[in-house]
Amino acid sequence: MARHDSHVPESVRDASMTLLTEVQRRPLDPGYAEAARRRALTGAPHRGGRTAVWLVVVGLLLGLGVTTATLSLRQPQAGAVAARRLLEQQVRQHRADAESLAAQNADLSAQIAALQNQALRSDDPALLAQLQRWAVSAALVPVSGPGLRVVLTDAPSDGTTKDNPDLRVQDVDLQVLVNGLWAAGAEAIAVNGQRLTATTAIRTAGSAVLVDLVPLVNPYTVEAIGSAADLQTSLARSSAGQHLATLRATYGIGVTMTSQRRLQLPGAGPTTLQEASTPSMTASASPSPTPTPTPSPTPTPRTASTPTATPSRSVRAAAGEVVTQSSVVAPGTGGEDR
Amino acid sequence: MIAVIGLAIGVVIGLLVHPTVPAELQPYLPIAVVAALDALFGGLRALLDGIFDDRVFLTSFLSNVLVAAFIVFLGDQLGVGTQLSTAVVVVLGIRIFSNVAAIRRHLFKA
Repeated sequence: MARHDSHVPESVRDASMTLLTEVQRRPLDPGYAEAARRRALTGAPHRGGRTAVWLVVVGLLLGLGVTTATLSLRQPQAGAVAARRLLEQQVRQHRADAESLAAQNADLSAQIAALQNQALRSDDPALLAQLQRWAVSAALVPVSGPGLRVVLTDAPSDGTTKDNPDLRVQDVDLQVLVNGLWAAGAEAIAVNGQRLTATTAIRTAGSAVLVDLVPLVNPYTVEAIGSAADLQTSLARSSAGQHLATLRATYGIGVTMTSQRRLQLPGAGPTTLQEASTPSMTASASPSPTPTPTPSPTPTPRTASTPTATPSRSVRAAAGEVVTQSSVVAPGTGGEDR
Repeated sequence: MIAVIGLAIGVVIGLLVHPTVPAELQPYLPIAVVAALDALFGGLRALLDGIFDDRVFLTSFLSNVLVAAFIVFLGDQLGVGTQLSTAVVVVLGIRIFSNVAAIRRHLFKA
């Protein structure tokens, strides 16, 4: 083997690095040196036309192949792009599906409500009136009126502690505030446009606060309908007021209260029927639409809806009536139950 | 020189025609391109050294590409494809660097 790269002294060689030094010291294909020596010995080789053609053809093929490889490597992988496009399309498709289904749901529940009103208006106006009253308490319908708006904002990050959860508004802060507002006599409450019902939970998932399973982001606007002055006074006197003061003083969380002359709170939407029973006089004749977990021993009055201590939405619908889709909960029973 | 002309014509054709590579050859392309680069720089250095030879150039080019692809294939079969690719890239990379350094010395005398 010819060593044409002789400017590296032998002493540089290190036994442990044989491979790398070899690669570095002799980077050129030894074939070149050998061909050169052969040429020097025998003179320039005579190449026939066939050899030249071969050389051109092989060179052409190699150039073509390498160019093709380089070009196809420069392009983004077609498969990955296609998969990504497919996923995007599916996401968009399913989102549109969900939206149209939600619209359909709202449409159908409006129809149900209209039919229910229509049926009850002739049959039992008293029941209808009661139903509408309770629908307000159960947060099924949008309401508006004067009230108090409390805005909680995360404390400004001090930079040193990257992600200090104490500086953020947490679920427990919202829970305390909401419970304090209920206790202070609020008639309806919404957090960031999410109306609170008897079964609404305020929880934390990761770093997001979920209200009714919908993730909310800072700032948190709690709107309560009621007499703003009364709400504010009662809240300030309660333990919730102390909690808010602590948040403001100790953690720097922004607490702003403003009384509003007109607040508009959305309805929580339709509810699902969870419990129904027939009055006992017709119980033997027609089976109840849904089996009652705890059949009441006494005849259930037609309009019976006892405010239950549990926050479950319960409706006892009379047999033969339009099965109501509304949930009925007396105000104040479920709101503080979290 | 005739091989270089052939190579150049091949490159031009490749740029114009845009052929597609079969999917099963895709994994071997990166290493093959690195091997081709090594052969190219080797040929350039030999040219500057005054010992360029068409046949040696094409043979080294061809064998470089084929051996690199074969090593990747073998590595994939043995389950050490990435490690073997890394080894090939290291060796060829060092060679490319050394050859480019020699070319630089030739061209700029520095």
